[in-house]
Amino acid sequence: MNGTTKRQLFGRLGAAAAVPLLAACGTQPPSATEGSGTKTAGKQKITYWGSFSGALGQAEQGIVSSFNAAQNEVEVDYQFQGSYEDTAQKLTAALQARTAPDMSLLSDVWWFKFYLDKMLMPLDDLIKAEKVQTSDYVDALLKEGVRNGKTYWLPFARSTPLFYYNKDAWAKAGLPDRGPRTWDELTKEWYPKLKGQTQNGAIFAHPSAASYIAWLFQGVIWQFGGEYSDADFTIKIHEPKGVQAGEFYRSSVKDGWAYAAKDESGDFNSGVALTAMMSTGGLVARQQNAKFPVGTAFLPEGPAGFGCCTGGAGMSILASAPKERAQAAMKWIAYATGTAAATWSMASGYMPVRKSAVSGPQFTEFAKTNPNIKTAVDQLAKVRPQDSARVFVPNGDQIIGKGLERITINGEAAEPVWKDVADSLKREADPVVRKLRALNA
Amino acid sequence: MTLVVLVTGVPIYWMFATAFKTNQEVYTVPPTWFPARWTTDNFLDAWGHAPFGRFYLNSLITTAVSTLAKMTNAILCVYAFALLRFPRKDLLFLAVLAALMIPEEVTVLPNYLTVASLGWVNTYAGLLAPTFASAFGTFLMRQHFLSLPREVLDAARIDGAGHWHTLWHVALPMSRPVVITLFMLTVVQRWNEFFWPLIVTNTASMRTLPIGIYYLFTQEGATQWGVIMAGVIYVVLPVMALFLFVQRYVVEGIAAGAVKG
Amino acid sequence: MPLSLSLPASAGTRERAVARPPLPPLRGALRERLTFLAFVAPNLSLLAVFSYWPLVQNVWLSFVEWNMIAPEQLWVGLENWAIVLSGADFRQIALNTLLFTLFSVGLTLALGLSCALLLNQPLAGRNAARAVLFTPTLLPGSAIALVWIYMLDPRWGLIRTVLSWVGIASPRWLIDPAWALPAVILVYVWKAVGYSVVIFLAGLQGIPRELYEAARVDGAGPWDRFRAVTLPGLGPISFFLLVTSLLSAIQAFDILRVMTAGGPVIATTTLVYQLYNEGFVAFNAGRAAVYSLLLFGVMLALTAAQLRFVERRVTYS
Repeated sequence: MNGTTKRQLFGRLGAAAAVPLLAACGTQPPSATEGSGTKTAGKQKITYWGSFSGALGQAEQGIVSSFNAAQNEVEVDYQFQGSYEDTAQKLTAALQARTAPDMSLLSDVWWFKFYLDKMLMPLDDLIKAEKVQTSDYVDALLKEGVRNGKTYWLPFARSTPLFYYNKDAWAKAGLPDRGPRTWDELTKEWYPKLKGQTQNGAIFAHPSAASYIAWLFQGVIWQFGGEYSDADFTIKIHEPKGVQAGEFYRSSVKDGWAYAAKDESGDFNSGVALTAMMSTGGLVARQQNAKFPVGTAFLPEGPAGFGCCTGGAGMSILASAPKERAQAAMKWIAYATGTAAATWSMASGYMPVRKSAVSGPQFTEFAKTNPNIKTAVDQLAKVRPQDSARVFVPNGDQIIGKGLERITINGEAAEPVWKDVADSLKREADPVVRKLRALNA
Repeated sequence: MTLVVLVTGVPIYWMFATAFKTNQEVYTVPPTWFPARWTTDNFLDAWGHAPFGRFYLNSLITTAVSTLAKMTNAILCVYAFALLRFPRKDLLFLAVLAALMIPEEVTVLPNYLTVASLGWVNTYAGLLAPTFASAFGTFLMRQHFLSLPREVLDAARIDGAGHWHTLWHVALPMSRPVVITLFMLTVVQRWNEFFWPLIVTNTASMRTLPIGIYYLFTQEGATQWGVIMAGVIYVVLPVMALFLFVQRYVVEGIAAGAVKG
Repeated sequence: MPLSLSLPASAGTRERAVARPPLPPLRGALRERLTFLAFVAPNLSLLAVFSYWPLVQNVWLSFVEWNMIAPEQLWVGLENWAIVLSGADFRQIALNTLLFTLFSVGLTLALGLSCALLLNQPLAGRNAARAVLFTPTLLPGSAIALVWIYMLDPRWGLIRTVLSWVGIASPRWLIDPAWALPAVILVYVWKAVGYSVVIFLAGLQGIPRELYEAARVDGAGPWDRFRAVTLPGLGPISFFLLVTSLLSAIQAFDILRVMTAGGPVIATTTLVYQLYNEGFVAFNAGRAAVYSLLLFGVMLALTAAQLRFVERRVTYS
């Protein structure tokens, strides 16, 4: 193995500083989270940064522990870093300071930024050495992490938006136990029947920009035949179809069937909102927390048919990781996204990322009693990766999200708002296009 | 006064009451003033979500060391600024004040790089180093020192006492309320510090209490208000106890000063 | 910092006004200066490393395009400044900052002084009252924000209930752009009042009691005593409070971050919040640097102005 890296040294200094204090107080450090990255007891230790806490965090720690127990070559040290955004912030700082972990969980909007500045390692050789069957990954999900024929980002906690509904409210209104086929069905036929069960007449909760409204609107703009941008970063959000989709959101609030929520998830779980579009991730927790049976369905169709995108997070190895540790990290990724794929999916509600997990006995059995998770898997066949303007343009998610807040909260007309948004997106896209050209040259 | 106490007190009461309510009761309309069914589940839940014991230890260590260093710096610095002659020291003082005008959002990343180059990421040294300087305390103490009766200090100097002696045995005893006030404010600020510990620590073994509450809030699904309030209470209780304890001394110190005068 | 050069040497006025004990001229002065340096050096060098150095780096960063990840930084001249200052949102952000600061500081100081005067009376239970008043200051800002999000909730929050007693419907505080700024100001003031009460109290109790008695002997009523003894006695401490309250209100962050994240739309986005947005959400180091320099400039100007006008009056009165 290579000599002591700077980071290992820091780790030891940290441990050294902590030891006397600990001895004095007679406390034991929680062993699972002490990271020094050295080879202990013949096992290659690697550091993995992740973004799940609470129930999801416990599920992830469970997978880590079972991996560590199942083999004697690699020891994963899982370190929780906060939300996706916190994790990306910390990784940025750590890269500058050369204290980055070996690998990290990165969300759909973040991995590309690190790729663009050559901070991620191409995984193909590692995958081959680990003998991972890439053809077993759900193709659409795997493809998203591939650039110029090389894989940088492997799917792990992948999600799609789902249409959630309150089954009790549906039953009380005499509606069939399913989601609406189209938005028209929801707003014209079903809304009048549901209206009476709410405090202020609105049945549908819109999230805020901070809760990723731009992710949920991605499907909607497709349903109206528009798009945020094409693959070459040409911004198209302000074209007529996009404006039409924006106007649809404006009218949703103006006509009274939808409202802008502070906490759409809390509102839905507590019965204030009867329906909302929300992620598959957290489905399991939602079923436990809601006071009523939770229903899920495909997203409703718009004038141009069906539209729904993927989202969530995947795993990447940092380019700075030494070769042996990178290979060790790959072993863990192969386990987390392979052997454990079904377990993780069942514990979280995220989609199984492997075909074999989807069709495996464990998951099929589970899906029988949990039809909601099956909705997510079935919808997967119809989803597309998101437009570059949201996931690849720096801050694209928030630029579009704030525009949507102007439309839903301020009630501004979609056309001028989308013009402003398009201008900002174009400006932010410039450096990306420049860097991509350099990378491809 | 009753009104003032009610307005400030009710949200605090509400925090405590919520921590003892079940999750169903938290979401009832209209809200209940007393928990219908008292439960301590929220406290157990919160405790189980993160290694709070370890966080307490880290918060204690960092707060104690940092407060001590900061107070020492403030006291030394303020004695010099208020009572010693130095050319254009007003400009130097403005330079100290200027540090209050640099938001943490500006210093966090450069300081991370500095701390990393010293090898202190995820260590107590890294948590502490940037917190040792004192701009706020220097300012507070200076305003007070300027109002100290000059004759007493000068008398001490004429008696042949050195600056060191004058500072610790004459100036400081006359400043007890301000020193204790500063002590209290510094402890609170350090105890509640969030952004820097979040950035500079990577593992649960180095994290502090405020980050523990953050763990509770970043969970998916329904916001568990009771659990969060319980977590907040964990953080607040030690500081409240310290305040109630110290308050007596603030009052005592003032009373003593009044008798002497 | 050309601003600081124009400052009068006000800070030293008071010391010089008082006769000093005779010292051997040269040796004594040199010793005093060396003592000064020895006492000041640790603090100043720490500030240099952990406060000024980051600021200096920001001056450079304000002229480059950098996403904080790339190894290289691209020189763009004044482009960041142009984008920030000509941005469509800049005026609203500046206005938000102004309104937030004015109302927060004004309310905090007014309420703080009233409560301090009240608690300075020998009333029954004033220790308990003081403890209650000070408690919000003890709480972490993010925790306070959480408590208030829950209390302000227009469906099951406590404020809704209280408002309904007087027949007012609860506004949708944090979602309505018109109400979000008042809501965060309310919460900020609630947290900050205790701090100003404590500082005012320390100041009030530093005023020698004989002064009041002398005034009473001279036949001064309560209002005259307040004007002639209390206000001047509070001079230095009010100046301190005004400066620190202004600086912390301008930099208020954690309550905004947790309660509104600068929204709805940009109704509660202040300069410092936008600095955070550019730096830690958009990863745009250049524009974040512009915001931090703007903020620093504003605060330095305000403080220098206060030093000049307020402190001169304080020291001469």
